[in-house]
Amino acid sequence: MLALKIKYLGFCGLTLLLLVSGCKKINYAKIDDPAYLRVFNNLNYEIGIINKDEPIPFLTMLIDPVMDGKGIPVSAAIKGDYLDQRDPYAPPYPSHIGNGSSVNNPEYPGRQNVLVGPVVNGFDLSSWAQIPSGKHRVVFMFRPKNAIPFFSLEDKYKKSVLIDTSLVLDSKEVYTLHVLQKDVATKENGILLRKENFHKLSLSDSEVYVNFYNMSSKGFWQTDNATKTGNGKNFDKGALANGIKDQMNIFYTLYKGAPELKTAVAGYDRKLMAALTRNTSTVEVSPYYSFPLFADGDSNGITTDMWQRFELLAPGMDINNIPYNFNTQDNDNSWAPINCVLNGKTKLPNDNGATLPNMVVNIHSGIYNPRSFATVNTIEIVNGNVYLTTVQRKYAPPVY
Amino acid sequence: MKRKKSFHIFFLLVMTSLLSVLNACKHNDLIVTKENENFRPAADFIKNNYDLSLFAAAIEKSGLTAELNAEGSFTVLVPDNAAFNAIGIKRATDFDRMNSDSLKHLVRRHVLTQRLLFQDIPTNGIDIRYHTLAGTEVYCSLASYSKGNSAYPVNELYFNGSFVNRKDITLSNGALHVLNRVMKSSPGNTVQSFLAKSTQYSIFVSGLKKFGLWDQLAEGGPFTVYAPSNQEFENAGLTEAMIAGLDPSLYYAQRLFGVYILKKRHLFISDFRVLSVVNESESNFNIPLENDSWYIGINSTKSFPGNVFSYAISVTTAKDYPYDQISNVSSSLQSGIDIVVENGLVHDLQGILVLPTQALKQN
Repeated sequence: MLALKIKYLGFCGLTLLLLVSGCKKINYAKIDDPAYLRVFNNLNYEIGIINKDEPIPFLTMLIDPVMDGKGIPVSAAIKGDYLDQRDPYAPPYPSHIGNGSSVNNPEYPGRQNVLVGPVVNGFDLSSWAQIPSGKHRVVFMFRPKNAIPFFSLEDKYKKSVLIDTSLVLDSKEVYTLHVLQKDVATKENGILLRKENFHKLSLSDSEVYVNFYNMSSKGFWQTDNATKTGNGKNFDKGALANGIKDQMNIFYTLYKGAPELKTAVAGYDRKLMAALTRNTSTVEVSPYYSFPLFADGDSNGITTDMWQRFELLAPGMDINNIPYNFNTQDNDNSWAPINCVLNGKTKLPNDNGATLPNMVVNIHSGIYNPRSFATVNTIEIVNGNVYLTTVQRKYAPPVY
Repeated sequence: MKRKKSFHIFFLLVMTSLLSVLNACKHNDLIVTKENENFRPAADFIKNNYDLSLFAAAIEKSGLTAELNAEGSFTVLVPDNAAFNAIGIKRATDFDRMNSDSLKHLVRRHVLTQRLLFQDIPTNGIDIRYHTLAGTEVYCSLASYSKGNSAYPVNELYFNGSFVNRKDITLSNGALHVLNRVMKSSPGNTVQSFLAKSTQYSIFVSGLKKFGLWDQLAEGGPFTVYAPSNQEFENAGLTEAMIAGLDPSLYYAQRLFGVYILKKRHLFISDFRVLSVVNESESNFNIPLENDSWYIGINSTKSFPGNVFSYAISVTTAKDYPYDQISNVSSSLQSGIDIVVENGLVHDLQGILVLPTQALKQN
């Protein structure tokens, strides 16, 4: 009898426990009317003897911060901490989150665990964070390079403001926000908010698109080569390390096969693509230029090993008669090649080009491994560095 | 019922046998490493270390023993005896010649107000400032490793340009690092007032005044000034009277005296070394003279063994070859370099860079 009672009690208890633990209210994070924002820190100067007292380009972004009486931020609606200098490649997929043990973030949202954008008109916006649309106060702060969260830093480290401004973000629009140095002499820093339009254009999925920006500081290329950071130390940066002139023409060549300047695709050899002007103030989207994904007539229409070379050449110079050597960085800021080949780590032999990953994405999709996909790209030149941002459409998952 | 009882007995049997088996095992006395309770507080540790006896004497003379043995936490940056020898203090009685307030200040500005271990200092950090007991700040630089070369760490640590010989000694009330040079500073003085007070630079000062370069040194800055002593001027055949007799309109002031002043720079001698590690670049620094075509090049070297710094300045008529080299002066006077003042740094320079005849305007 007693055993029965114990059993009964136990059963009741268990049911109660189930009932209690079964009840849990889950609040799904949701932002109404979001704008999509991706932030890059383009301050790529290096601290050296020449600029020892310049702040380290390591930032915290605060959106709608709350300041205390002394003007020190105490909290913020959105915080993008540990914003490090950006990576040369901003891939079409969120590659930073959950990847690596460092807190340093090469872009926002990057490693941050925030709500990200959906697929808009076929384009995967998972590298863009959702931000409530409307007017926001945006503050970028310099911070010391360590792993202490911004608001836990000592007060004296929370005073170095890079910029304090207001931005208006429209609903369902895609933005990239760039922190950059506008003038190399005055060290004036600023931001540039660009409203992207790739998701609104009628872009074909059989063409690879690319547009260009030169967001270098005013006067960077004119300064003495010896004072340019990265110069001489890093031949991997190529001739671009010394900067390019404010006005340049862009020629492109499509190569196939191994990373060497050997087999150009017929009809795509040193073709004029666009003109490029240095600009750190206006926020207009540069026009997109395109070339076919399967430009190579021999390709099977599924996959291609084609890669791209862009040559920046001063106006008036002849692409077929470049008066500089292939392995010198000193070419009067008039010629700088950029090779988009393999994964951006393999430098061409005997060449002064900067190296970036291939714009064509090759990946296992459907029954094909690999299959080549066209992308939409942005090449940004900031002082001695070049950055590639690739956006991609959704593709079919692999079938094994 | 019977079965149940026998099961109980069996179970008991098993348990007891298990217990006896376990008991039979040999039990060695388990030794738990006890935390060392014998760490000494700062002043006691320093007093008990022969190589730090001069700093210990300084603590004692300035009456700071109790303060440094207190709860803490502190980080004591202790210059070893060789470091004191280099500034002319050979034995404890030599401190008697010092003003007791300035001795107190000297000790206090070698003590940080927090426990700072090597691991707490940011990797490749440059000029990280820490508070001292004297209310001043020290500049800490750490050359950890070259970019992408973290497998080959350098890990050189500097406080105000002084090399840390020995890092991370545990104290009961903080930590201790041993420096190989005394951190020198002149609190409350600008570059200008420091130079004015230092009688050994009087010819240099009169030259700066004569050529209109003097007034700026009282202002913001920061300045890095390489100051030649009177002895150097006299060795080069320049006396105070001769400087007074020069006609400023006939000379390039920037070349003759501006060459000793770096504007908007705050450079310890060790910075050339630190930044050459961090940026994997040459430890040479070329800078044009203000409003002039001449260049000065500065570099520093760290001796091995000993980690003693010396530096050299060269003056050339152009940056790239072909140029004429006007001079190349190297200096290694340990008592004269890395003197921190309110608006910059002063380094003693053992030579004259430009002679009046070399700075003469041609027409």
